Amino acid sequence: MSQNLYQPINSEIVDIVDESPTIKTFVVVPEEKIKFKTGQFVELTLPGEGEAPFTPSSSPADTEKMDITIMKAGRVTGLLHECKKGQKVGIRGPYGNGYPIDDFAGKEVYIVGGGVGLAPIRSLFLTLIDRIKDFKSVVCRYGARTPDDFIYKKTLFGPWQKIDGVHMKLTVDEANGEWKDNVGVVTTILKRDDVNIANAVAVVCGPPIMMKFATLKLLEFGFGAEQIYISMEKNMSCGVGKCGHCMIGKYYVCKDGPVFTYDQIKDYPNIWD
Amino acid sequence: MQTVFISELKPFLDAVAEDMDLYVPKNAGTHYVYNRYDPAAEAPVEFNNIRTCTPIKEFLFPLRELAAVFPEPLEPKDIKPFAVFGLKDCDLRSIEILDKVFTEEEFEDPFYTARREKMFIISSDCSEPAESCFCTILDGRPFAQSGFDLNISQVKDGFIIEVGPQKGKDFIEKHSQLFTETGEALLSEREENRAGTQKQLEQNNAELKFDTSIKEIVENSQDSEVFDFEAQNCIECQACTRVCPTCHCFYLYDTKREDYFGKMKMWDSCMRLAYAEVAGGANPRKVLGDRIKHRLMHKFSYFLDRYGIDMCVGCGRCVDAEAGGVDIREILKKLNEELKGKDKTKAKVAK
Ligand code: SF4
Ligand code: FES
Repeated sequence: MSQNLYQPINSEIVDIVDESPTIKTFVVVPEEKIKFKTGQFVELTLPGEGEAPFTPSSSPADTEKMDITIMKAGRVTGLLHECKKGQKVGIRGPYGNGYPIDDFAGKEVYIVGGGVGLAPIRSLFLTLIDRIKDFKSVVCRYGARTPDDFIYKKTLFGPWQKIDGVHMKLTVDEANGEWKDNVGVVTTILKRDDVNIANAVAVVCGPPIMMKFATLKLLEFGFGAEQIYISMEKNMSCGVGKCGHCMIGKYYVCKDGPVFTYDQIKDYPNIWD
Repeated sequence: MQTVFISELKPFLDAVAEDMDLYVPKNAGTHYVYNRYDPAAEAPVEFNNIRTCTPIKEFLFPLRELAAVFPEPLEPKDIKPFAVFGLKDCDLRSIEILDKVFTEEEFEDPFYTARREKMFIISSDCSEPAESCFCTILDGRPFAQSGFDLNISQVKDGFIIEVGPQKGKDFIEKHSQLFTETGEALLSEREENRAGTQKQLEQNNAELKFDTSIKEIVENSQDSEVFDFEAQNCIECQACTRVCPTCHCFYLYDTKREDYFGKMKMWDSCMRLAYAEVAGGANPRKVLGDRIKHRLMHKFSYFLDRYGIDMCVGCGRCVDAEAGGVDIREILKKLNEELKGKDKTKAKVAK
């Protein structure tokens, strides 16, 4: 590996999947293998343009390539969306802590996701189903704005739902013609008896507003703040606990997170902003 | 520690400049800045009686530098040895703080480390602290305690040089013909000078008294209105973070050059509105008062928790630089008063 922590590893975009009108998945092959833990993030550089943090959405078991699902949200993501196959990019990382999967063993894993928040969750989900017997069950609740906004449609609507030990429920904020399933924000499909709270952990990932209300709902159900894992999205630059951008309270989200228990961060102001 | 004596600065500085690039303070009217030493210059180098305005971080972590290159990776260039003259105790302690961040084993910044290793540190005693200097509140002294290669103290007839570890020793040995021995009399003159300045500083700061640790004071200020109040005077010039020798926020940005792409590393400021904003527009510190609070919390609580030292050396640079009139000492004083008030109320309630 390069001795220079700011130097990205040269990589290439080898495939691009249109997920939704605003979300694409880029399949990236780095020149050197990058080993990561699910929930850790990488800094993706579009040379000459800019860099942004993303949590890979592929399984860490796949060390040859990495899927990075990106929503068009700002300048760099906008430019990435215009990229074609063959584009050279750079990757630094992985950074941060990732999900403490081993601590989830024997428990029900209650996953609540929204929008592009399914990207990190997909990586987690793939990791969990690789060793599904280790967990009591994996219960997923996922919401998108409209049926068109679901990402990973092929797997989400089919194969994932059929895995033994996985229980999946989907919802949309607004239905269209063909949608027969739940309508309403994701919190409307969370039910107190979805899991046995005494032996469960919850993983919440999505837009800040969704994470906020999902967390509040889980607390209301009786989840302890230390049982709820949140993946924080903050302004990141260096990724290595130096530049200061990502700080919430005493934590560097890039280094101490991005995964926190709600308990760790609940007392800091404006964590959802 | 070993000491030697020299009656004039020039031969000493010339000897340093023979071996490496040397930077010396230059009087810019109201303050000192750093300049490259020119042995041929007519005007002698002035012994700076107070810290420079330039924060020492500039030598280790420049305002802007190239941090990565595509497609060929960039490794730190061979940095030439260089010397800086006139650092004060606060400056040495600011380096100690930056070391914690940039030479951390897990993620070592190769550019910082390369410069740090090549830096020859010549510190000196303070004898004219400014009104803004409050180092004594933060365990600082008007003379260097450790972290130098050589330390210079001015006495009536010349300069006493205290010799630090290896690099300093090597230098003195190499140029031994320049120096004479220091006797007891000279050393006690130095002690007297030091005690005098120390006393002056303590008098300066007599009013800046806290009833408990600064850490506890800022940690108890979560819902204080002091920050929003102070924010009214802040014009967001970010000067405080620029001149601060311990502030080390930066950002990385990418550039296109004719034959390569570069990733630049440049100073940033947590006082900037968009500093913590994410691409989607969310921003945990939209309010200026919250940014001022975060800066203080970082300095006196978060950094201390993580690295075991405060991230402020009390050099007062930010006080001097403040265009709007925000004074870190005043904020701390007000917060202290507030906490005292709270404690009294609590005590009453308990009765
Ligand atoms: S905060 Fe002010 S007094 Fe403290 S180190 Fe920085 S510039 Fe000096
Ligand atoms: S992104 Fe730089 S400190 Fe976290």
